[in-house]
Amino acid sequence: MRQQSRHVHSAHHHFMLSYPVSLAQRFYTIVLGPLAIVALVYLIARYFPFAPEHAGETVSFPMILIASLETSARLAVAYVLAVIVAIPLAILATRNSTAESILLPVFDILESVPILALFPVIIMLFINFNSLNGAAIFILFLSMLWNIVFTLVGGLKIIPQDIVSAAHIFGIRGVAFYRRVILPAIVPQLVTGSILAVAQGWNLIIVAEVLRTYIPGGTAAQDLFGVGSILVDAAANSQTEVFIQAVFVMVVIIGLFNFFVWQKLLRYAQRFRFE
Amino acid sequence: MRSGSALSSNMQPIIEFKNVGKTYPGEKTPAVHDVTFSVAPGEFVCLIGASGGGKTTTLKMIAGLEEPTAGTITKPDVVAMSFQLGALFPWLTVFENVALGLRSRNMPEETIVRTVDHQLRLVNMFEFKSKYPVDLSGGQRQRIGIARALAVDPAVLLLDEPFSALDVMTTAELHDDLVRIWRETKKTIVMVSHLVEEAVSLADRVILIRGGSIQEIFKIDLAYPRREQEAAFAHDVQKIRRAFFAKL
Repeated sequence: MRQQSRHVHSAHHHFMLSYPVSLAQRFYTIVLGPLAIVALVYLIARYFPFAPEHAGETVSFPMILIASLETSARLAVAYVLAVIVAIPLAILATRNSTAESILLPVFDILESVPILALFPVIIMLFINFNSLNGAAIFILFLSMLWNIVFTLVGGLKIIPQDIVSAAHIFGIRGVAFYRRVILPAIVPQLVTGSILAVAQGWNLIIVAEVLRTYIPGGTAAQDLFGVGSILVDAAANSQTEVFIQAVFVMVVIIGLFNFFVWQKLLRYAQRFRFE
Repeated sequence: MRSGSALSSNMQPIIEFKNVGKTYPGEKTPAVHDVTFSVAPGEFVCLIGASGGGKTTTLKMIAGLEEPTAGTITKPDVVAMSFQLGALFPWLTVFENVALGLRSRNMPEETIVRTVDHQLRLVNMFEFKSKYPVDLSGGQRQRIGIARALAVDPAVLLLDEPFSALDVMTTAELHDDLVRIWRETKKTIVMVSHLVEEAVSLADRVILIRGGSIQEIFKIDLAYPRREQEAAFAHDVQKIRRAFFAKL
């Protein structure tokens, strides 16, 4: 028997759990699997010997394909970073009413800062580390982050109190609470936020890869190899055929990703919704 | 037939509230004030009252979800609860939902499978073990919620308005099943309800809570199964109703 009073608090137990493969774990595998493939291709593409070295040089169709993979990899890295940062930020912001009243207005302000206005500053910072790719990924990361954070905040706020109480009563506490309750509970919002975020990333890709505009005395050599920079170069040099091919490849990639990943995940995420 | 209160003078209570109060942070009026009662092992007690009267807060204090701000509560370590809408985890199968508390206790897989299967059979839901909550009706979800609570072998089973969202036929069916489960498992049950008929058809004792305090405790000395058509049943219902509406 246990006596409980205002002076006595019940002990909180933390357990390490052996847990069979769940829907949540399968979801994260679905997301991380293609990302791993893209990352692998990125490493190959990064050292692909046929990247154009001069502006105006004709770009072959295989080169556009490789460039689109490099662009996809850039988006993938930015997306993974955005998810890794967004989840704890959203959890922190909804932890209690005090955190919410402080952090949500701060997030609102940060979200409203125009990303492109920050781009020159970011590039100058990353030039110090000799990483123009880092600058592009960082700007893509920022463009994705707030979409995911705010969607997740919405998801966290609609977790029914009874679910939290049930987790408490059945001993799911500490890290296990986040792993077994919070992460699965926000899967639908993570999917929605991810779709918005990646779309936003594609919108910014042209700007993020054409860096010369933001570097004092910048040249085409400082642009990043990718489908975005190919589009800009093709447009600037009236290479209509290359331009159309690049747009075609981009549309196909977005379409395939939408069909094979997002649509499947949207259907799959229905299982995680509270009624 | 089992009937009436399981409480006898020499029996040690399994739950004991002594002058318990609960005031939520930022509130001036206590949600629960000076509540004193006890529950005997194996007893079925029903807390009834209007919304906002303090019955759910009382239940949450037994569950350990809320700490009292005054008085003392004596209760067993293992208490489990079934919730109003089941509170099942939508991403887990029926089997995994019932296994929830067992996995937290790091039990061997073999024990988990045996326990979950037993509980699912007890609530007549064994064939649904691979389904997800979305595939179940409201009544079936309640059965799973009860199986999940029973799986951890609690000393006390708490039920928070478990039938309030169900239709009349399903509720009647679940009432019979709950009485059967109670008699088979001999668990102590504390249930919150806002329906006098429900309380009279299920409980040994009915505790009427109003304005955060206990207004009156009624002993229901009827044999099971209890039927609303019976005169004694109607008499008890009327008695509680009169008290319920007395000072409204």
